Amino acid sequence: MLIRTMKRQIVLTVNGEEHDIEIEPNRLLLQALREDIGLTGTKEGCSIGVCGACSVTIDGRLVSSCLTLAVGCQGKEITTIEGLAKDGKLHPIQQAFLEYGGFQCGICTPGQIIAAKALLDSQPNPSEEEVKEWMSGNLCRCTGYYKILESVMAVVQNKISTEHGARKGQAARIQSLYKSDS
Amino acid sequence: MSKAEKFSVVGQKVSRFEGYERVAGESRFIADIVVPGMLSGKILRSPYPHARIVKIDTSKAEKVRGVRAVVTAEDTIKRGWGAFFPDQYPLSEGKSRYVGEEVAAVAAIDGDIAEEAVDLIDVEWDELPAVFDAEEAMKEGAPLIHEDKERNIAMQFDVERGDIQRAFAESDLIVEDTFESMPQWHCAIETIGSVADYDTSGKYTVYMNTQTVFMARARIAAALGIRETDVRIIQSAVGGGFGGKSSDDNNAIVAAVLARKAGKPVKIINTREEEFLAGSRPRVNMKIWVRMGFKKDGRIRAKHTRVIADNGAYCGKAPAITGVAALRHDTCYKYSDVRAQAFLVYTNKIPTGAFRGFGNPSAEWAVEQAIDKACHELGIDPLDLARLNAADPGYVSPHGNRVQSCELKQCLDMTEKMMDWKKKWANKKPNIGMGLACTVHVSGKRHFGDYDGSSATIKVNEDGKALILSGEGEVGQGVFTAMCQIAAEELGVLLEDVEISSADTDLTTFCLGAFASRLTYVSGNAVRDAAGKVKEQLFETAAEMLEARAEDLVCKEGRIFVQEAEHKSVTVADVARARLFRRGGAPIVASGSFDADSMSQDASRYGNESGAYNFGCQAAEVAVDPDTGQVKVLNYVVASDCGTVINPIGAEGQVEGAIAQGIGYALIEGIRMEDGRPINPNFGDYRIPSMRDMPPLTHGFAQSYEPTGPFGAKGLGELGMDPTAAVINNAIFDAVGVRIKKLPITPEKIFMALREKESQKK
Repeated sequence: MLIRTMKRQIVLTVNGEEHDIEIEPNRLLLQALREDIGLTGTKEGCSIGVCGACSVTIDGRLVSSCLTLAVGCQGKEITTIEGLAKDGKLHPIQQAFLEYGGFQCGICTPGQIIAAKALLDSQPNPSEEEVKEWMSGNLCRCTGYYKILESVMAVVQNKISTEHGARKGQAARIQSLYKSDS
Repeated sequence: MSKAEKFSVVGQKVSRFEGYERVAGESRFIADIVVPGMLSGKILRSPYPHARIVKIDTSKAEKVRGVRAVVTAEDTIKRGWGAFFPDQYPLSEGKSRYVGEEVAAVAAIDGDIAEEAVDLIDVEWDELPAVFDAEEAMKEGAPLIHEDKERNIAMQFDVERGDIQRAFAESDLIVEDTFESMPQWHCAIETIGSVADYDTSGKYTVYMNTQTVFMARARIAAALGIRETDVRIIQSAVGGGFGGKSSDDNNAIVAAVLARKAGKPVKIINTREEEFLAGSRPRVNMKIWVRMGFKKDGRIRAKHTRVIADNGAYCGKAPAITGVAALRHDTCYKYSDVRAQAFLVYTNKIPTGAFRGFGNPSAEWAVEQAIDKACHELGIDPLDLARLNAADPGYVSPHGNRVQSCELKQCLDMTEKMMDWKKKWANKKPNIGMGLACTVHVSGKRHFGDYDGSSATIKVNEDGKALILSGEGEVGQGVFTAMCQIAAEELGVLLEDVEISSADTDLTTFCLGAFASRLTYVSGNAVRDAAGKVKEQLFETAAEMLEARAEDLVCKEGRIFVQEAEHKSVTVADVARARLFRRGGAPIVASGSFDADSMSQDASRYGNESGAYNFGCQAAEVAVDPDTGQVKVLNYVVASDCGTVINPIGAEGQVEGAIAQGIGYALIEGIRMEDGRPINPNFGDYRIPSMRDMPPLTHGFAQSYEPTGPFGAKGLGELGMDPTAAVINNAIFDAVGVRIKKLPITPEKIFMALREKESQKK
């Protein structure tokens, strides 16, 4: 028989914003983010914390949100993929993935980028081997990982251009929408 | 110099236009879609591999508060459906034939309530004897899975070209062996899912992560007993397909049945476990006996293969896959006398089906190893033997496949260089070995009716931006961007001024979707055709505006002017507005179409599968630890002939991704089943390659131009997957002298084989 426990009111701080939500104690952080707060960028891939598609950071630490209880995250800083771009300007890791083709279908991409950010925020100059070791918790079935590694190393080696390919006009148009950014 | 040098957009490394939403996490995948009043659907699945349904009692489930609908086969027209044979039911009709089969379903206000209700559905089962091995299933007295299919044989054929007996008699060396491939699960990081809605007018609207919207529409309509236009399929962003989302499963049909009964939209997303049990149809595993005859200089003289393919419980696309496995690789080398026998056999397991390569990986696993055996026995370098036999432009295979462009020999040369093959082959080190294999694949396949085509409509908006309306969809490979590049190249506009719609069967014209590596070639040609017609309209009006003749005009980066008189120009936007805002005005819009010049196979399976063929060569250098059987791929090299490369980033991505799946197939993946039931159907136990598993990879594209392709392009997506397992196994044999005959190649198998080899020496 389905047993419903009393919902609890909690406050989750996600990407710098506070969200008041009412959830059951067994609600996973992944579901709270996606369904209660409406941030669907974090994905469910395996439900057992192996694939990394649900990666978020909590106080800078990389975690699988499919294995984390939402109630335990009160008072902590949660960062999801939605928190990386600022005013239409992509985070350098996002820029690199765009420029070097570090994605194909995009389902694992938020997890890959969050994982890379967690690494580079604490260790800005990792070797290729260190990146491989760190990123092995983020599965991808499309890319074969070569371009994901290339994208991350491009950030490490500062080899990202803000304009690239034939999409110059698009980048410029988006920038112009945020006139406060000079 | 290659013709690609002359293009301004095609051939350029461009970032994909969906890139922003992908890296920002904004793409709307099926699990992200929420519609008002949406219910959660859960499926009751058969726990038995083969069992008769005596009775289903849904009364308790219906009473659970929050449940809006419970359905069984009684809520359907009990009509079978399927890509080729209509042998599969939306919900079990009379009996279930594999563990995981859909028996009943519940729609409720949330997933927990739906699950609770599913647990309350009472099914009285009468277990039947089951069979799990194809050869066992073909024996007299084996349990019959489909009443009308004697000895569980869904399909069989026996074709001979030339005179096989004489050909073997004329051979100097005969090689014979049996190889077994294994099923492989797609493991796309996103599982299959759908959101189905039914409105009172009688129309279904289904959001789904299908690779093939029009095929999905046709099959769902057939299963429900309605017309195609009574169903609207809208493709959500697809989180990886690889053939696993090509509409051979029941997810969307069950959602539709629930939606109709509940009178509300219903979302069903497969859990990872469900995906393993009954989601994407795993690769057809086959046992292939191969016998080949060679002349002593290495020329192939004869080939006889017998394929026993494991169908699983329902056919899906396995009939076509079996045909490909038996016949397609004969397009790679110059064959004259061949015989191919094939049996497709039902077993009580998850239906097998389409997975990147579509039968070719199994075929090449067998044939490329037989060829490798011959190389070793004849003392001929595999590279030289491949070159001696390689197909050339103009080759027609014994089964009628007509090769136009073919740069297989160039691929062999590239492989030699990238791997430094000759030097390494001549200077072997202990426990280090080299292996290679060649491969051929299609650019589309004529097997869904007498059509292998595509269509597209392009409109130009008043601001000068072109929109391509296409039903082909995007599954992550980058085809949206490639189509925009082709249209931009043909029109003469900037890439950023071309967009493409999502695939929606109501708003786009008929096409087949993503499979058979067809889109660049077939859809590219249709898009180019549409763009050409749009350009005619642009030039007609521009000619008036510029007081010139249409035939003297060119369009460059969105500006139209008389050749050599660039100072006087009009923009595409100027023209679009001028053509519209005037008396008798009209918008700029045109439709294009293309059907490949292929030919359906006749009753003897003779025909031209595809309009164009892509070729490739792969080589590996591996180190085997004789004490543990562990294999380390030291170097991997791939040369691909895909004609003109439309977008290098996309093309490289396809090769790299295919190699990863090939390495998984060869060395890492493998499900364990007990009585037709996968043990531990999850990512913890079924491991797919991670970043650490990928070897150093060098790859390149041949200078090639396919005359029938858009700007010379042809297919690529599956080519990289086809030979990989054979390449690695050939290298392992070269390293330590043992050849594993059944996938996966595990350290245990190698270790045991080495031990046995040692004991035989004594």
